[in-house]
Amino acid sequence: MRARNGLKAAGLVAASALLIVVLTAAGLLAFIFYNMSAGRDWTAPSEKVSAALIWSGNGYTFTGEELLGEQRWAMLIGLDGQVVWSLRKPADVPEAYSLTDVASFTRWYLNDYPVQCRVRDDGLLVIGSPKGSVWKHDMSMGMDVLLQIPLWFAFLFFLAIGCVLGLAFLFLRKWFRQAQQVRDTARSNWVNGVSHDIRTPLSMVMGYANQLEEDPALPPARREQAAIIRRQSQTIRDLVNDLNLTMRLDYEMQPLRRARLRPAALVRQAAADLINGGLEDRYSLEVDVPPEAEEVTLLADEGLLKRALMNLMNNGVRHNPDGCAITVRLALQGAECALEVDSAGGPGAPETPPTAPPSVLNEDGSAPHGTGLKLVEQIARAHGGRFEIVQNGAHFRGRILLPAGQAQI
Amino acid sequence: MDMRQRILLVDDEPELRRMVASLLTGAGYEVLEAADCAQARAAMAARRPDAVLLDVMLPDGDGFSLLPELRRSGDVPVLYLSARDENAARLQGLGLGADDYITKPFLPQELILRLGAVLRRVYGGRPEDDALTLGPATVHWGTGTVTRPEGEVSLTAKEFALLKKLADNRGNIVTIDALCAALWDGPMVGYENTLMVHIRRLREKIEADPSHPRYLLTVRGLGYRLAREEQA
Repeated sequence: MRARNGLKAAGLVAASALLIVVLTAAGLLAFIFYNMSAGRDWTAPSEKVSAALIWSGNGYTFTGEELLGEQRWAMLIGLDGQVVWSLRKPADVPEAYSLTDVASFTRWYLNDYPVQCRVRDDGLLVIGSPKGSVWKHDMSMGMDVLLQIPLWFAFLFFLAIGCVLGLAFLFLRKWFRQAQQVRDTARSNWVNGVSHDIRTPLSMVMGYANQLEEDPALPPARREQAAIIRRQSQTIRDLVNDLNLTMRLDYEMQPLRRARLRPAALVRQAAADLINGGLEDRYSLEVDVPPEAEEVTLLADEGLLKRALMNLMNNGVRHNPDGCAITVRLALQGAECALEVDSAGGPGAPETPPTAPPSVLNEDGSAPHGTGLKLVEQIARAHGGRFEIVQNGAHFRGRILLPAGQAQI
Repeated sequence: MDMRQRILLVDDEPELRRMVASLLTGAGYEVLEAADCAQARAAMAARRPDAVLLDVMLPDGDGFSLLPELRRSGDVPVLYLSARDENAARLQGLGLGADDYITKPFLPQELILRLGAVLRRVYGGRPEDDALTLGPATVHWGTGTVTRPEGEVSLTAKEFALLKKLADNRGNIVTIDALCAALWDGPMVGYENTLMVHIRRLREKIEADPSHPRYLLTVRGLGYRLAREEQA
């Protein structure tokens, strides 16, 4: 569980980091592209400037000073490499240029002046901006790479979308879980509160009924009535306990306290507890632990597993008010350990399964056999096992099967 | 002078206090009642009870924080009597050093037995607890001997432990596993036969007719039971 949480946290950090990188890159690109076009304001519209420079037969006339602005300068280099016309040309800009000079400054800078060039019939028009005002970078790229750019953009786009969706999913799920938890807590607090409030009055009902039951001054019929009140209060108490536990198991509020235990000893203790608790004479209880099952051990929550067995035995008592034979059996079925409680049928119970085995739970999760058996089912499941019911007429068998990995012989 | 043991009962529910008080008085205890933490502190200081039955939820505090306070003025045994049955509450109570944790609702007999067990553990048995009567035989715990009309025999250490375990749960079945655990300090497998040998020898010492025991009874498949006098 801790490793899974660690993995989840690492995934969350990685997705966030990736998302930040992608968004930063996208932002940077947008900034660059926006300012590249905005940067053209820093250069002059060279076509118009060129059109404003006209040869009038004996010299050049220039009418585009406004287009150039105050900071820029311009010159026209003739076909022979000599400057034939210039306006505000700085002193450190030469008067003559070789082929290599031109090749160099058309790409980069001319004596650190950022320049624009325009080819004319009579030479090359060069427009210069002040030093340090424009950054120039020559870019060239293979066509194959250029064609891959849309793919890369699509990849990054979907990656970013994936990250966003993933993060949104995680946050939403967390939010839903928190909301769910709030609801669960409210519900469990309510059940806890109700069960708490029932316990104190029930103490008095049980206590006084028990006192009346044992009062030799009362006629036997009255004492028997008091005994019925006491027994029914105990049934309510068991119901409250089952409700509480079933809810805690439902909402995973009951951590399993697993320890290695011998189911043989557990089965005997549960049976002894049932008898010690006052099992009436019309019920018989037999414990069947074959010698080979004596040394089997399970990793289980002793209290819960015993509770499951007690519930199964009490179920037999409750559904057979005229008495029955109850058998608790421990068996090894292949690699599984089976804890069985038979009622009414006894040890010679029919092995044939009924035509339609009743399910332990209804489709809506409620229990057709009451909370007691739902709890048994939950306890079996919490231990990674399962619970089966076989019912044939008056014979009822509940079987808890715990998985092979937990049984050691 | 009143030699009865004095029990302080702390619970905010007057009806419940009245019922438990009548139970305790009926069982031979003197009862002090307190409805909240303040009254409990006062009663503790004034009358030094022999044991405290303490509710967890009280109007002016909770029983969990009251326990260390009560213990400061003397090492008195405390039993929680609580309507909270979650394992967490139970473990918290016992973790604080409470001697027992009884969940409401409870049967009167259960409360009396568990309180008696705690008092015996802390203060030793009442005089009548020093001996165990099994028909014509009397077991003296102090000396580990059994007196019968035909003479006196001594119990071995294992027989003594076995009989004590059964006597502490008299009337109830004690499983063979619980007996083995009491005799050999832990769950032992394969000791059942040895246990049967000890049981047979014990029967020879306490039963009039060991092959037809009246007191130390076998419960087939489960364990043994020491029958109560009226059941024997």
